[in-house]
Amino acid sequence: MCVCVCVCVCVCVCVSAGVQADVRDALLHPLLRQQDVSSGHVSFTSPVNMSSCQSVCVAFLMSVHLSSCLWSLAVLRKEGFLSFQTSKYRLHYYETPSGLKFVLNTDLSVTNARDTLQHIYSNLYVELIVKNPVCASTQTLESELFSSRLDAFIRALPYYSPRAA
Amino acid sequence: MADEAPFQLLHSEVIQYIYKSAEGETESGRNVTKLENIGFRVGQGLIERLTKDTARFKDELDIMKFICKDFWTCVFKKQIDNLRTNHQGIYVLQDNKFGLLSHLSVGKQYMEHAPKYLAFTCGLVRGALSNLGVKSIVTSEVSVMPSCKFQVMIQKA
Repeated sequence: MCVCVCVCVCVCVCVSAGVQADVRDALLHPLLRQQDVSSGHVSFTSPVNMSSCQSVCVAFLMSVHLSSCLWSLAVLRKEGFLSFQTSKYRLHYYETPSGLKFVLNTDLSVTNARDTLQHIYSNLYVELIVKNPVCASTQTLESELFSSRLDAFIRALPYYSPRAA
Repeated sequence: MADEAPFQLLHSEVIQYIYKSAEGETESGRNVTKLENIGFRVGQGLIERLTKDTARFKDELDIMKFICKDFWTCVFKKQIDNLRTNHQGIYVLQDNKFGLLSHLSVGKQYMEHAPKYLAFTCGLVRGALSNLGVKSIVTSEVSVMPSCKFQVMIQKA
């Protein structure tokens, strides 16, 4: 199964465009019933095949929805929302204290990608984007160095394998 | 110098500030000169601090070797990788992984921004040499990032 990475800087994620209302409702309604509150993982039963753009939008909606209605519960657990899975894929989410959101889509066999996302943030993003004065934080990331290092890092992950053609 | 991050971030911000406050002016070479002059003053002060306990230098080559080893290590946490000279007053210092450029790119991207990030360091070297009694002109060139070369031309008074 392939791994695709989307890095969302919180100011430039399109929320409503591209998300079909029925898909969104199907995913949001079972939210409160099927979450596993103690470990921060959420699972859904409806088999949904979505494009990566839609899944990013849904993830953003999810994070907004969760942060608003699970605030009191999130205070009790130290981890917060970690990931959700559907029957086809799993989406991992990492938010930094500065408000940057990192999203990673993997297949179902990957349980915890938090360390991966944290490594991407501290060793790749901070080193190559924050310290790069030419990359403005409000625009899309154009640094080739960042793309190539990120690509090499993902390929070196133990759970990465090229998609079978 | 304890940590490189504050210096790198401050350096990037100084460059952006100078370029932003000079928007509208047609002469772009002025900004590079300003950065070089800032580096000059910093280099003068820094070399005083670094050489307060060392013995006097025997000759020019000794001075250049000090710049390549101790001075570069103090500022960039590594030594110059290659020093070449024609023994007639021209020295070329080559750094294969220049600290202020390594976050920008590897290869050709952002090449047009590279001279801005080298101006301060040229001034730094020139200031250091000037307080050691050597008058010089320092220029820089970049062919493939993050490797760069600094050319020092000694001026005989």
